[in-house]
Amino acid sequence: MKCTKCGMREATTEVLRRFNNHIEKMYLCGNCAKEYGSKAGLNEFDILEKMIAGSPMGLLSNFADMFNSVAAKPTVCPECKTTSDEFLKTGYVGCPECYKVFEPLVAETVKKLQQSDRHVGKTPVGAANTTTEESRLRLELQAAIDAGNFAKAGELSQRLDMLVGRKKGD
Amino acid sequence: MLNSTIVSTRIRLARNIDGMPFPHKIGKLPAKQISDKVELSLSPIDRFMRYDMDSVSQLDGTILQEKHLISPDLLTECPYGSVFISADECVSVMVNEEDHIREQVILRGLSLDQAYDRVNKIDDLISKNIKFAFSPRFGYLTACATNLGTGMRASVMMFLPALTIQKRIDSCINDVGRLNMTVRGVYGEGSSADGYLYQISNQRSLGINERDILDSVKSAINFILDSELRARQLLKQNENELKDKIYRAWGVARNAYKLSTAEAMQLLAMISLGDYYGYIRINDHEGFQRLITHCQPANMQRLSGRNLSVEERDVFRARYVATELKNVSNRIN
Repeated sequence: MKCTKCGMREATTEVLRRFNNHIEKMYLCGNCAKEYGSKAGLNEFDILEKMIAGSPMGLLSNFADMFNSVAAKPTVCPECKTTSDEFLKTGYVGCPECYKVFEPLVAETVKKLQQSDRHVGKTPVGAANTTTEESRLRLELQAAIDAGNFAKAGELSQRLDMLVGRKKGD
Repeated sequence: MLNSTIVSTRIRLARNIDGMPFPHKIGKLPAKQISDKVELSLSPIDRFMRYDMDSVSQLDGTILQEKHLISPDLLTECPYGSVFISADECVSVMVNEEDHIREQVILRGLSLDQAYDRVNKIDDLISKNIKFAFSPRFGYLTACATNLGTGMRASVMMFLPALTIQKRIDSCINDVGRLNMTVRGVYGEGSSADGYLYQISNQRSLGINERDILDSVKSAINFILDSELRARQLLKQNENELKDKIYRAWGVARNAYKLSTAEAMQLLAMISLGDYYGYIRINDHEGFQRLITHCQPANMQRLSGRNLSVEERDVFRARYVATELKNVSNRIN
C-alpha cells in the first residue's frame, strides 16, 4: 500500500485521526510519519506512546491521533529500539520484549523457517506456564516406568517434584 | 566400530535473561554482571574455570577454540564474553556470545541422551537462580529467531573419510538436508585436508521437543553411518591401493621432519582409517584423539612451551606426532 501523503513510498504506519466523532485513517511511509511527528518535536515512538495514553498532543486543533503499524504493531520496540525492518533484514531482535512487539511478524517468519510457530518443548522451572511441561513429564515418567527404566523414572520424578514444588511456592 | 566413525556429541542450549537486552545491545557493565550471576549459579554444580575474553591471552583463547570449548565468535567478536569450563572439560557455559547463556555438554562418541541429560540438569539448576526469557508461544527467547523454541542444537562430529574420498559426501549432505539437518566441515570447508571431520546438527528447534530432536539426529547419524560403512567396503575393493595409501601415511607421519596442521590431520585421518581396516592398531583411542587436538596450532605452541615461528612449529609437530604415534599405535603387518 502506498503512503497516503506522498503517494510514492510503501506505507508502514497507520494513523487514526479523530475529528469530532468521525475517525479517518491515514497510511504513512516512514519518512512522512517522521515528518508528521517532528512537527510536534517528537519522534515516532513518543507520539505512539502519548497517543495511546490519550495525552492531548495539540498537533492540530481538535484532533487526536493514534499510531498503529500496518505490518506489525508497532514497528519499533519500546525497550531496545530495534525496528521490524532490522529484524526482517538480519533475523535478530534486540531484547525479549521484541518478540511481543513483532509477534505476528516473527510468527510468520519462523513458520517459514521452522515449519511451526508454536513451542512444544521444555518449560523453564518456575515459568508461569508449567502445565504443559508438567503433563509432558508425567507422560515421560509413565513411559519410563512401563519400560522398566527406573533410573530415568527417578530423574523424571525429581524434575516433577522441582516443577510442582516451584508452582505451589509461586 | 562406532568409535572410528563417530568422534563426539555436543548438545547446546541457548538461554537469555528475562527483561534484559540481548548481548549485542548491552555494554560492559551489565555484561560483567551477567557473567557474575552465571558464575554464582554454577558454583553449586561443579568447579568451573572462568575465562573472560577481555583478559584471556590470545594463545589460551585459541586453545579453547581448538578444543571446541568456545566458538570462534566468542573469542573474536565478543569482548565482554566469558566462558565457564568444568574440570573434565565436558561442560562449557559461554556467556554473552550471541545469547546471554549458551550451556553445552561435549562427550566422546555417540552420547546424545547422556549429553542432553547432563546439560538439562545444568539448565534446571541455572534456572533456579536466573529467570530465563521465555514465551509460551515461542519457547526460549533467543537473539536470533532461528534458535527459538527449545534453543537446542544437538551436534555429532563424524569422521567420514570414505564418503569424502569417493566424492559422495555432497549427495549424502543433500539427503540429510531433507531430514532438516545441517552438515558442515569441522576444520575448514570440508576439504580432504580437514581430517575428514564433519558436524551434523539439527536445523529445527521450534515446534519439536527435545527428545524428538535427539531422535531425528540419531536417525540422520544412522543414515550417514550406513553410507560411510558402505563406502568403506567399496574402498576395500581396491585393497592394494588402499593399503599403499595408509602405510604411506603411516611412514610419513613417523618419519617426516616437518608437518603442517593440514598435513598432520590428513595423515592421522588415514591412520585412523588403517585402524578400522586392521592394518594399523590404535591401542589408545583417547590418546589418539588428544594427538589430533594437540596438532592444532595454538595447542602445539602451548606444548612446546615457547614462541615458535610457523616453520619451527611444523618441525616440532613432526617430532611430536612421531613420538606420540609410537605410544598410541602400532603397525600390524
